[in-house]
Amino acid sequence: MATALLNRSLRRPGFLPSIARTLSTASASTSSATLPSTVPFVQNAIISPSAVVLQPPPRMDRILKGKGLMAHINQTLPSPQAKSLLDTLFNRSHPDRLLPGSVLSVTTQHAPTNFSGVLIGVRYKGPDTSFTLRNIIQRTGVEMTFMVCSPALKDIKVVHRAGGGGGRQGRRIRRAKLFYLRDQPAKMTAISTSIKRTQR
Amino acid sequence: MLGLKATMTIIDNSGALLAECVNVLKRKTGHGLATVGDEIVVVVQKARPVSAVASQSATALKIRRGDVRRAVVVRTKKEVIRPDGRKIRFDDNAAVLINTKKELLATRINGVVSADLRMKGWGKIASIAPKVM
Repeated sequence: MATALLNRSLRRPGFLPSIARTLSTASASTSSATLPSTVPFVQNAIISPSAVVLQPPPRMDRILKGKGLMAHINQTLPSPQAKSLLDTLFNRSHPDRLLPGSVLSVTTQHAPTNFSGVLIGVRYKGPDTSFTLRNIIQRTGVEMTFMVCSPALKDIKVVHRAGGGGGRQGRRIRRAKLFYLRDQPAKMTAISTSIKRTQR
Repeated sequence: MLGLKATMTIIDNSGALLAECVNVLKRKTGHGLATVGDEIVVVVQKARPVSAVASQSATALKIRRGDVRRAVVVRTKKEVIRPDGRKIRFDDNAAVLINTKKELLATRINGVVSADLRMKGWGKIASIAPKVM
């Protein structure tokens, strides 16, 4: 099982260029990374990274024993697009992370292709990270939970960021999960009308 | 997750307003709970008064309180998981009335329905609905 995971991580697009950079012996002044020349009669042969013999990750022996396996999986399993989301918007300690109370608009591959709503909770579980949006559609409350690393998730647009400043932005929300919005139709209708206004 | 004694709103224009589940059909599992797209047998608990024209006609649809009818669940408060891991949850339970031949009794549906209806084979209901999520 660990070798299958290793094979999958080695096929990741970002993996080989990083190895190529570490193996490069070019001087710091050259902009492109030239690899050690194995082509005779040529000084600076630029060999494409795909021709490099694959080196396993430095601590493969540890990973095969199971040490650091989950950290390795969490780093390599998500796609690059999902990884960027996990590192910024859905990262527990990033300054630009999405706070509950933000209004998001999500575009997906399957129906419904567009869903907007207020973020009522984020579940931080590495590759299993998910978030829930709530909106009122035709007088019925609808909540949808999306998986961040799903390839069906095409785009996330932040319509309104929940800030901590106060004043026009409003007071900081003091909860991580806004399930109390299910019992407050007044607040939800205000949110849903503002969403409809921004979409028009 | 609608079983015996579960109440739901009827969101079509058949005349029924509120219904109570009595039986879940064709569910091979033992717990007998219905989710979106399942056929159930309901008892109408609340209905709009039958109009004078309809009460005289023999063929018009007459839904009265106490009628035992079949219905299809279109919205559930319990979240339904889609194949890619997404979940959808509504604020109430809702159904539409059908006959034994799986045809809609009413002509219009008002309100949101779940897109899982299409996956379960109720494309006709999903196409009539004003909003499919």
